[in-house]
Amino acid sequence: MDSILFLILRRLRLPINLIIISFAISVLGFTLIPGVDAEGNPWQMSVFDAFYVVSYTATTIGFGEIPYAFNHAQRLWMIFSIFMTVTAWFYAIGRIIALLQDDGLRRAIITNRFANVVQALQEPFYILCSYGESASLLTKALDEKGMRVVVIETLQERIDQLELSNSHNAIPHLCADAKLPENLIRAGILHRFCSGVVTLTDNDEANLAIAVAVKLMAPDLPVLARAERNDIAANMASFGTDHIINPYTLFGEQLVMRVHAIGSFILHEWLTDTPGDQLPPPEYPPRGRWIVCGYGRFGKSVVDNLTREQITTTIIEADPELTGCDNCIVGSGAEARTLLEADIMNATGLVAGTDNDINNLSIVMTAYELNPNLFVVIRKNKRHNGELFKRFNANITMQPTDIIAHECLAHMVTPLLAQFLVLVRSQTNEWSNNLISHLVAIVGENVPETWSIKVSKEETYAISELTARNVIVTLRHLTQDPTNRDEHLALVPLMLSRNNQNTLIPNLDTPLMEGDQILLCATPEAKSALFNTLNNNKTLSYIIDGIDMPNSFVWRWLKSITTKI
Amino acid sequence: MNLEKVIFGFFIVLAMTLNFGFFVGDIDNPNHHHVYELYAAIVVSLIATVLKFGDRTHVGAILLSTSLAADLQLIAAAIMWATLAGTMTDADLITYIVSLSGGALMANIVSVILLIAETISQRR
Repeated sequence: MDSILFLILRRLRLPINLIIISFAISVLGFTLIPGVDAEGNPWQMSVFDAFYVVSYTATTIGFGEIPYAFNHAQRLWMIFSIFMTVTAWFYAIGRIIALLQDDGLRRAIITNRFANVVQALQEPFYILCSYGESASLLTKALDEKGMRVVVIETLQERIDQLELSNSHNAIPHLCADAKLPENLIRAGILHRFCSGVVTLTDNDEANLAIAVAVKLMAPDLPVLARAERNDIAANMASFGTDHIINPYTLFGEQLVMRVHAIGSFILHEWLTDTPGDQLPPPEYPPRGRWIVCGYGRFGKSVVDNLTREQITTTIIEADPELTGCDNCIVGSGAEARTLLEADIMNATGLVAGTDNDINNLSIVMTAYELNPNLFVVIRKNKRHNGELFKRFNANITMQPTDIIAHECLAHMVTPLLAQFLVLVRSQTNEWSNNLISHLVAIVGENVPETWSIKVSKEETYAISELTARNVIVTLRHLTQDPTNRDEHLALVPLMLSRNNQNTLIPNLDTPLMEGDQILLCATPEAKSALFNTLNNNKTLSYIIDGIDMPNSFVWRWLKSITTKI
Repeated sequence: MNLEKVIFGFFIVLAMTLNFGFFVGDIDNPNHHHVYELYAAIVVSLIATVLKFGDRTHVGAILLSTSLAADLQLIAAAIMWATLAGTMTDADLITYIVSLSGGALMANIVSVILLIAETISQRR
């Protein structure tokens, strides 16, 4: 703020000096010119009177000739004073207004205010280095989960969007280039509560620059970066970027997860969605022969993953040499001839994965005419084409933005969730289906809150207090309602992490120990109820043995007497 | 030679000399202290203050603060003169005013000392 004050003062030096000098000359003149009072006696204006007269004249208020009517000499001087002081006054006002509208100054003020707001944050927060489609989804989900976010974005129109959107917490934002280290510092990468940086711009180089800058300035800060090119991803990894997100690879994996274990896929989507949302019914991609149109980054990932699942694929590619495709049918796929050549009549699935939205739509439309029973996966590239894709209603629309947002959430909500999801992938589909029906039975069909707690004096005062007194606290106690211990909260412990050993869906009779980390999933109401159980040992001991502990010292003393008797 | 430095130094030194000119004389004798001298001291002091705006060095900041201290006391003296004139004896009134201007003089002297110190430390 200091620098801004000095900037203003420096620019106002000339106008203020002009006012002082013009006032000084006018006041001096009035005190020197002899006048007469009401009775005609000679009278000389005092400095104070003269300053009063000049003040109201220069500011064009004009109270008149005070205290006595002026003579000609005084009026002559007044004319001169008016032109001099009023001009100086208006010049100064004009300069001040011009200064306030000055773009440079306004930007300096906004930047300064942003840095101050970030500095004042008193809870953990994440920095998002863009506010594109995926980042806005992510922001909404994080905000819904009560986590704080700071946004830097280069495009003013996206900042405007952010300003118009509703959020529970204020989201500090700045229109600036996150590649510049000073902007990253303003956004708080050196702040003690900063819990990570997420860079999801659609420019790989920009993401790399940000990831490198953060790792150099704050090596311990987790960085999630989007990278579509392998060389960039490798470069990021060499700088220690914690999570590199490639939407195409992720989609390939997810497509296979759908074929292979739809249950695991639903679990994944469900636990990383915005709390309170409802999931659309999932689609089951059929096994059989698939046709993949376009063998770019997306197509390659799909083909690789499908091949791993022993699904045969036929590739259609317009430029086989550029994409390095040895065994494919040459063509765009938008014309019936190429599709027939790929034997569309006997295929079960079609992936329209070129980097051109209109081509993709055209491929799918042609294919439907030939074979209406196809299972269709379509890739959407540009967000302004969203309406077309909604009309079209393919079985699966691949939206990089959604995938990125979900993946980020899995890492950001709690590290335990990401570990949990990795473990889930190695489980059978049946296991996942059982877990889903268990979860739905307890927490309902809406997306639940997912978070982790650590058994420690700071986070779970009551548990630590009671275990120190050799009272056994089990996971089941956490699921009981603190207002009535016979009722159950809509809460499920998903994973217990003890000494780096993770247990999926731990047995409810497991006793808790200091240092345990528990991944929980519950309705928002249950989450707030649990807070009471964790931090109030009276509540917790009521849950454990059903006895209300007396509050005050006297009652506790009386109680101890009565129990002795 | 730099015209900006000339004007800057001129106003700072003039603010002190005018202030001193008003201050010298018997403290309770109105004939030794002319109202125009106080007036000129205030105007020059204000101009000197504004000239010091926007200097971000440490010396610049102290120079500005000494000027502000001088302005404060000189304006206080002027306000007393304007409002208390006629309500007490001239000798009493002029004592208050001159003592206030004496305080401002101290601030102005500090300001000039700083200016000299800065000039000497400059090796060009």
